[in-house]
Amino acid sequence: MSAMWYYVFTLVFFLFDYFILAMGLNIQYGETGILNFAYIGFVAVGAYVTGATSLPNAAGTGQQYILGWGLPFPLNLLLGGLAACLLAVFVALIALRRLRTDYLAVVLISVSLVLYDVINNYVPLFNGADGLYNVPEPFASVLKLTTNSFVPFFAALTGVVALLMWWVMSRITKSPLGRTLRAIRDDDGVAATLGKGVFRYQLTSMLIGSFYAGVGGGLIIQFGGSFNPTAWLPAETFVVFAVILVGGVGNNVGLLVGALLVETLLIHLPAFLPDIPGHPGLIEYIDTIVVGVLLMVMLWFRPQGVVPERVRRSPFSLATRSSKTLDDRAIIVPTNDGESTPVIQQETANG
Amino acid sequence: MAETTNGGATSPESVFALRCQELKKSFQGVMAVTGATFDVPQGMITALIGPNGAGKTTVVNILSGMMKSDSGHMQIGSTDVTNWESFKIARLGLMRTFQLSRELGGLTVLENLLVAPQHQSGESLLNIFFRPVLVKREERENTERALEILNTYGLYDLRDTRARELSGGQKKLLEIARGVMASPKILLLDEPMAGVNPALIDRIGGYILDLKAQGMTILMVEHNLNVVEKICDHVIVLAEGRTLATGRLSELRANQDVVQAYLGEVINASPTR
Ligand SMILES: Nc1ncnc2c1ncn2[C@@H]1O[C@H](COP(=O)(O)OP(=O)(O)OP(=O)(O)O)[C@@H](O)[C@H]1O
Ligand SMILES: [Mg+2]
Repeated sequence: MSAMWYYVFTLVFFLFDYFILAMGLNIQYGETGILNFAYIGFVAVGAYVTGATSLPNAAGTGQQYILGWGLPFPLNLLLGGLAACLLAVFVALIALRRLRTDYLAVVLISVSLVLYDVINNYVPLFNGADGLYNVPEPFASVLKLTTNSFVPFFAALTGVVALLMWWVMSRITKSPLGRTLRAIRDDDGVAATLGKGVFRYQLTSMLIGSFYAGVGGGLIIQFGGSFNPTAWLPAETFVVFAVILVGGVGNNVGLLVGALLVETLLIHLPAFLPDIPGHPGLIEYIDTIVVGVLLMVMLWFRPQGVVPERVRRSPFSLATRSSKTLDDRAIIVPTNDGESTPVIQQETANG
Repeated sequence: MAETTNGGATSPESVFALRCQELKKSFQGVMAVTGATFDVPQGMITALIGPNGAGKTTVVNILSGMMKSDSGHMQIGSTDVTNWESFKIARLGLMRTFQLSRELGGLTVLENLLVAPQHQSGESLLNIFFRPVLVKREERENTERALEILNTYGLYDLRDTRARELSGGQKKLLEIARGVMASPKILLLDEPMAGVNPALIDRIGGYILDLKAQGMTILMVEHNLNVVEKICDHVIVLAEGRTLATGRLSELRANQDVVQAYLGEVINASPTR
């Protein structure tokens, strides 16, 4: 397989993976209004745990890490997702219960920084700054995959996982649960006066989103075979935010578009462009600037994203109406036209 | 304090739906509520009146659990709910609207209503995936009911409009409709008719009387005494954070304290009965 195809499938992998990551952040931020500025930390925990549960016992590997259970895919991936959920429970208990959105965001940035420092410096956990490497490639030995054929295979596998997770997510966002989350996003005080236990729902949303983050991270370490702190600088969170803001907050299709525009075209594609002569590495810097500018332009001119959240129209309508409008029953001053005049028209007529 | 004796509609023995005793609340030195003590009789429409800044909205905030009182007690039926969280108070059957409308702006008008029913099976992750039939059936029933309520409140044609796009008056209607959708026992309305045109005021009055006919207990903050006169059975006057008097409006008109504190200009302006 030519090098070009290798690159193409790498891009395809990141497209699907960031679609998953975007769905996870979207349910937290886009649907529930939780500004999770520590999101990349959840991705990292998922990646490390996925790696550490599939690696064999650390003794003799030249690396230091916990777990080392030698579990097969997708069991390790599942544990990666669950580990991110565990972190979510912890964060929710210390931060979510008492804090308002803006304070919560600040606390979450701190969580992200602390997590980064601990994992980066406490070597026995996940091999410190070197990170984990030599993580077994799933199915590689069973299917006799070479390094080259593994890439398209795993990109496709990630596509299948993304499709499955998209199906699950759209079931959730379409359900009454999704509606209640959006009510909390719009006004948590009102949601509470409607009898919604806001914390419980925020926790649910954190858990779902974190599971997506963890699985997305797990797929990254399975794809590349390694993961270290350079892969999840706390600022990476904003790339995922860029994906959902550009694509369209609250719209699952928009998230795929966002992943394509931001992650594939802007972040990864330029890395494969030839260097500008005399300025090695310049493209990567320009890249970051372009993402920043794009984000500003989007927020300024099209804050709803490329594919905006759609209006969820009701599938039902009333079979019989007009007979029961209150115009007929109004006790104080019945309006003389007995038909169902919408209030909007009356108001403009009188005002 | 001059308590007007209860007469007619509200005898002392009448059942109360809501009771508060010596509620107090201050904000960094500002005494907003200094002693609110009153009963809201069951199955009636009670008006909460008083000058601007008297503490009416603050009392409603305390009753709905959105604010904690500094001291005092409150009771829904026989349950002491002092300083309960608002979602727990809501689950006992108390709903409220807001003086400044707080619609769920990103949701459609219909969705604003569909959020309201309590304990929906589709709000549980497990049910969504393992009991989809139950979820769907319940959703259908709720939607039918919501559409009927929207039809009643003249909002049916706006059902698929985002709530933030409604006019001020439509938002007021939506809030009442949302409260009704939750099938509350007690409905607190904070100035439901403020900022709406006269025709709509009459319509809202009609809706409120309808709710009473269905057995709901209503406490409404209202400045328009014509409305109070027409639809309210019982009146509570709040001035400077404390209950000044309670009774029927006609009795309160004879009460010097009340006239001085609040009713004076209104009585002078309108023909006496
Ligand atoms: N959140 C708050 N923070 C500080 N002060 C407040 C707050 N809410 C109310 N107050 C103060 O408490 C007092 C009572 O306010 P409240 O809104 O309860 O009056 P109200 O009777 O509803 O008035 P209006 O008829 O104008 O709506 C006012 O002096 C107000 O400034
Ligand atoms: Mg008020």
